[in-house]
Amino acid sequence: MSDFSIIGKPIAMVDAAGKTTGAGKYTDDLSVAGMLYGKILHSPHPHARIVRVDTSRAAKLPGVVAVVTGKDAPNPYGILPVGHDERAMALDKVRYVGDNVACVAAETEFIAEQALELIDVEYEVLPAYFDPEESMKAQSDFIHDNKPQNIEKDYHHVFGDPDKAFTEADYVAEARFIAQEVTHAAMEPHSTLASFEIDSQTGKPGRLTVWSSTQVPYYLQHKLSLVLEMPMSQIRVIKPLVGGGFGGKSEVIPLEIIAAVAARAAQKPVKITYTREEVFLAHRGRPRTIVDLKTGVKNDGSITAVKARVIQDGGAYCSYGVVTILYSGALLGALYDIPNIQYDGYRVLTNKPVCGAMRGHGTVNVRFAFESQLDEIALQLKMDSAEIRRRNLLKAPCITVNGLRVQSYGLPECIAQVVTRSQWNERKGKLPKSRGLGIACSHYVSGAANSIIRSDMPHSTVNIKIDRDGGIVVYTGASDIGQGSDTMVAQIAAEVLGCSMARVKVIAADTDLTPIDIGSYSSRVTFMNGNATLRAAQDVKKQIATAAARKMDCTLDDLIFRDDVVVNKRAPVAATPANGSQPTVVHAEASVSGRVEGQILRGSLQQKRKDEGPKARLSFEEAVVAAIDFHGALSGTGSYAPPPEARGGKHKGAGVGPSPAYSYSAQVAEVSVDEETGEVTVHKVWASHDCGRALNPTSVEGQIIGSVWMGMGQALTEEMVWKDGLLMNPGLLEYRSPSSVESPVVEAIIVESVDPEGPFGAKEASEGSLAATIPAIANAIYDAVGIRLRESPFTPERVLSALRAKKKQKHINLTEGVDPTAPTTFREHGGSLCFKGKGPERHALDPARREAQVATGGAD
Amino acid sequence: MSLPEFKLLRPRTVREAVDLLAQHSGNVRVLAGGTDLVPSMRQKLFEPQYVVDIRHISVLNGISPLRDGAVEIGALTSLTAIERSPYLRQHYSVLSEAAGTVASPVLRNMGTIGGNICLDTRCLWYNQSLQWRKSCGFCIKKDGDLCHVAPGGTKCWAAFSGDTPPALLCLNADIEIVSAAAIRRVALGEFYTGDGVAYRKLQSGELVTRVFLPAASADYRGVYRKLRVRGSIDYPLAGVAVVLKRANGHIADARVALTAVNPAPLLVTGATAALLGNVLDEALAEAVGDMAAKTAKPLTTSALTPEYRREMIRVFTKRALLAAAN
Ligand SMILES: Cc1cc2nc3c(=O)[nH]c(=O)nc-3n(C[C@H](O)[C@H](O)[C@H](O)COP(=O)(O)OP(=O)(O)OC[C@H]3O[C@@H](n4cnc5c(N)ncnc54)[C@H](O)[C@@H]3O)c2cc1C
Repeated sequence: MSDFSIIGKPIAMVDAAGKTTGAGKYTDDLSVAGMLYGKILHSPHPHARIVRVDTSRAAKLPGVVAVVTGKDAPNPYGILPVGHDERAMALDKVRYVGDNVACVAAETEFIAEQALELIDVEYEVLPAYFDPEESMKAQSDFIHDNKPQNIEKDYHHVFGDPDKAFTEADYVAEARFIAQEVTHAAMEPHSTLASFEIDSQTGKPGRLTVWSSTQVPYYLQHKLSLVLEMPMSQIRVIKPLVGGGFGGKSEVIPLEIIAAVAARAAQKPVKITYTREEVFLAHRGRPRTIVDLKTGVKNDGSITAVKARVIQDGGAYCSYGVVTILYSGALLGALYDIPNIQYDGYRVLTNKPVCGAMRGHGTVNVRFAFESQLDEIALQLKMDSAEIRRRNLLKAPCITVNGLRVQSYGLPECIAQVVTRSQWNERKGKLPKSRGLGIACSHYVSGAANSIIRSDMPHSTVNIKIDRDGGIVVYTGASDIGQGSDTMVAQIAAEVLGCSMARVKVIAADTDLTPIDIGSYSSRVTFMNGNATLRAAQDVKKQIATAAARKMDCTLDDLIFRDDVVVNKRAPVAATPANGSQPTVVHAEASVSGRVEGQILRGSLQQKRKDEGPKARLSFEEAVVAAIDFHGALSGTGSYAPPPEARGGKHKGAGVGPSPAYSYSAQVAEVSVDEETGEVTVHKVWASHDCGRALNPTSVEGQIIGSVWMGMGQALTEEMVWKDGLLMNPGLLEYRSPSSVESPVVEAIIVESVDPEGPFGAKEASEGSLAATIPAIANAIYDAVGIRLRESPFTPERVLSALRAKKKQKHINLTEGVDPTAPTTFREHGGSLCFKGKGPERHALDPARREAQVATGGAD
Repeated sequence: MSLPEFKLLRPRTVREAVDLLAQHSGNVRVLAGGTDLVPSMRQKLFEPQYVVDIRHISVLNGISPLRDGAVEIGALTSLTAIERSPYLRQHYSVLSEAAGTVASPVLRNMGTIGGNICLDTRCLWYNQSLQWRKSCGFCIKKDGDLCHVAPGGTKCWAAFSGDTPPALLCLNADIEIVSAAAIRRVALGEFYTGDGVAYRKLQSGELVTRVFLPAASADYRGVYRKLRVRGSIDYPLAGVAVVLKRANGHIADARVALTAVNPAPLLVTGATAALLGNVLDEALAEAVGDMAAKTAKPLTTSALTPEYRREMIRVFTKRALLAAAN
């Protein structure tokens, strides 16, 4: 099966040249005639009722064309059908610092910013909730009236008999783990350009075109239709190049709706590009998660039961929250063989920016807890920590206790690979002082078997059109966000049709042109859109083959499509040169651009002419011409819907977790710890990933390295720091993603388990590796210096304080209590809520100054 | 975030520059590399009507060794030039080393030594956008009258976070300050006030033109140690510069200076006396580390907790001394 000509080759990304030369266009690079710039007014309060919004002063500023507020588009929306709790802009309440209140569309960005300062909003401040465990105790002033106790959703699952299994266990470990909040920090800030055409009949705004940096053009089209009350067919969403998403663009982000609302009011195109601070406020990242985890094992290391209680600090709106909390429970299964599981998950609302989906959606923080605890257990049992993982492998193919169907299962090989390559057995425990090795595993879905919109519609559809000269156009809804889906689609089409990459052109993610694909999230694109592409290509191939077989007087099975030639494999090899006298045979290596129209016409004539005898081979163009002459236009279509067997169990919430296939990963990290400063250095990570089949190994390696690097960021340095709902580090200087200096050597190891349902056996490759990195580093730190870190990120101060505690040395205070008078919340001593001081140079925008002016009857 | 509107002035000579500064005094800012000023202007921390771009005053650029062994460095000299200068690396290595830790290579190409000396003090409650600062009710350093870091206090604790000034303090550097009316030369130690708001003694009409390193400071062993979370880009969360000279195995002279843990870069008083005439061993290095930790008054102006940062001043001072002595 490894006899491929395009698949499995390190082919350059089809959009690489544009991206590397700067010629490629991202949304913010676009502009259209008459375009205005939009700027959004955000709430300065974490929780407040809007008493009054007065935009009249802003509207009068020269250069301002429109000012819109929540009233201009009051329909609610949300990515999940159960979570329609967002609005374009706030109607009655703001729920986090940064919530959207109004938007100005003006001739320049500068004027728009000036105008924001002229919008008067009167707020009635409400008590706010910042800690999920506190928020759950709320008795009044709920963040959403229909969510008592501020609980967005809770689930309670029991599979097997965990209570009994715990009593039968020889050893039970129990601990609380906390993972602090992180965000995607994609390079490209969100940007949207919305433009209405004037309807020729009515003279009013008619069709809408939206260019947006999105992972989900189809959902955007759908939500725009809800909010703007327009049919979807009147809305065209185009995704230009996207500079990374990681989940942060996998739902409708406020600016996408707001730009359209503003464009409608202004009757002019409006572009909004977020500042980096706004990107942090739009967020949708990984929630702060509290995991209370209990694992029972037998003395032989086999796990008898797992119990997890998970609380996620979800922020002010639902977003993907219900899915996140379900993934956290469901993905306790399908990695190891765990016969009994109890899961209690709480998704809690707080007055902070909204958490959503982020690379490794739902699994990462629980995996950190689980793999750390497994390491502690191995230590207790005096068992090698790679061995305890081997003792708990699934017996695939199987269906897990929580209803997940596992078919291909490369985890054993993943573990074997990292153990061998890192020389685990030889080096573990024998490294110099303060240096250590740690191992951990993880897995992820290759797309959700049940789509969030709960319909029977295929999750992906792809159309292919082939022109007379053999040029192939693939129309796919797949959204390339940098992960390489356009290249994947081109490779699959080229492989199936046996032609060179140069023939294939991909038209992607334009809702007017491309059939529906539900988007780039949950690592579904290669599996689902790849399968749809495969089927579409097979569909056209069959049409070509039928014509070719007729011409070559053979059966379809006799034909081989490869290297731009269609060959009858039964024809004697010597027959080929006999046709050499025909000048129309385009040699396999001929460049596509070298062909001229005359050849095609001649080919067509020859096709019509009664042949002297059957041919042994046809060039791809000849075969295409034959098919077009025979069928008329040559096009094919293919779609993919996950099979019913993969769709999971029947319990409440069973829809989330099932996938047609799971990827697997194992990692070994080598770290050293500076025992005097607590600084951790990651020297090397061996990361193996079972992606089924690597359609493009360079691309897969890139994803593995990126996952490890992003996981390392969460493990060591990245953390959103909050003070009363105010994000203290809303920028890339203070939110510390690792730089190239900290990047360890990553040895990416591809494991191919060849999935029975994946396209050419391929599965997910871009998310599954991330979750293993954090516990691998935690376990390596333990190996190095003997401290168990249960709170991420493992910043130098957390590491040092744990080291000091272990050595019973001087305690390091990790709270801010250096100043004994420091209050626990800043709003008690200051902040706009009780800003009563009388500073010498009070800012014009200081609310206290405005109050003073009102009191003295002053106005401007 | 757009820049506020301002008028850009581009003098070619120092004279022209100081005349412009005098003319628009109170409503003008000097722009050198712009790596600190421009982001701050976007955040509306400064909204001057005039910006005097001094980058075209070529006499302010360059490193000139003098005949007596001293060195003059023009205020516009880039940090990259200082980091790479073979002369400085040989004779004033602590400065090159400190310059090489600033920000990232790109920012060092743009950033100047003058800008690094004049660098604004920093605080998490201050270096934020206008929208952000509005949400917290502003702070004592800008537009408000209270401090979120030391509540109830009337002093601003924003931390001076430049990397080269502690090295320059160790080298007993002077700076030249020019105004339309006069030229003065001050010891760098006298330049900073210790207050987070009025952090430097520089009038609106004044320009820093040159840095002098005395010949007597040449050829010390020097080490700079910087606490940061990432190995690049990050400002110091604590920084220690050390120079020392030995004679017959004993310390003949030494100085220790700190950055990023007070509103001014500071020499550790008492360190020189403690070290002088002694043989540097672990215990002595540790004792001086303790002195440095007492000099440091970190607060919650930056990432990592104050207590940790003070601990690191202790550790880094010890390590820097031991490294310099080896
Ligand atoms: C992401 C980032 C990371 C950074 N990290 C660090 C770091 O790690 N360490 C560090 O030290 N700095 C850091 N900086 C700050 C800055 O890059 C450097 O301090 C640089 O040396 C500033 O020099 P400049 O010429 O760009 O200053 P400018 O921005 O031009 O000026 C800075 C200030 O000094 C004034 N000024 C400049 N020159 C003169 C002069 N000759 N006379 C009078 N006043 C003058 C300006 O008016 C302004 O107030 C960082 C900046 C950024 C954006």
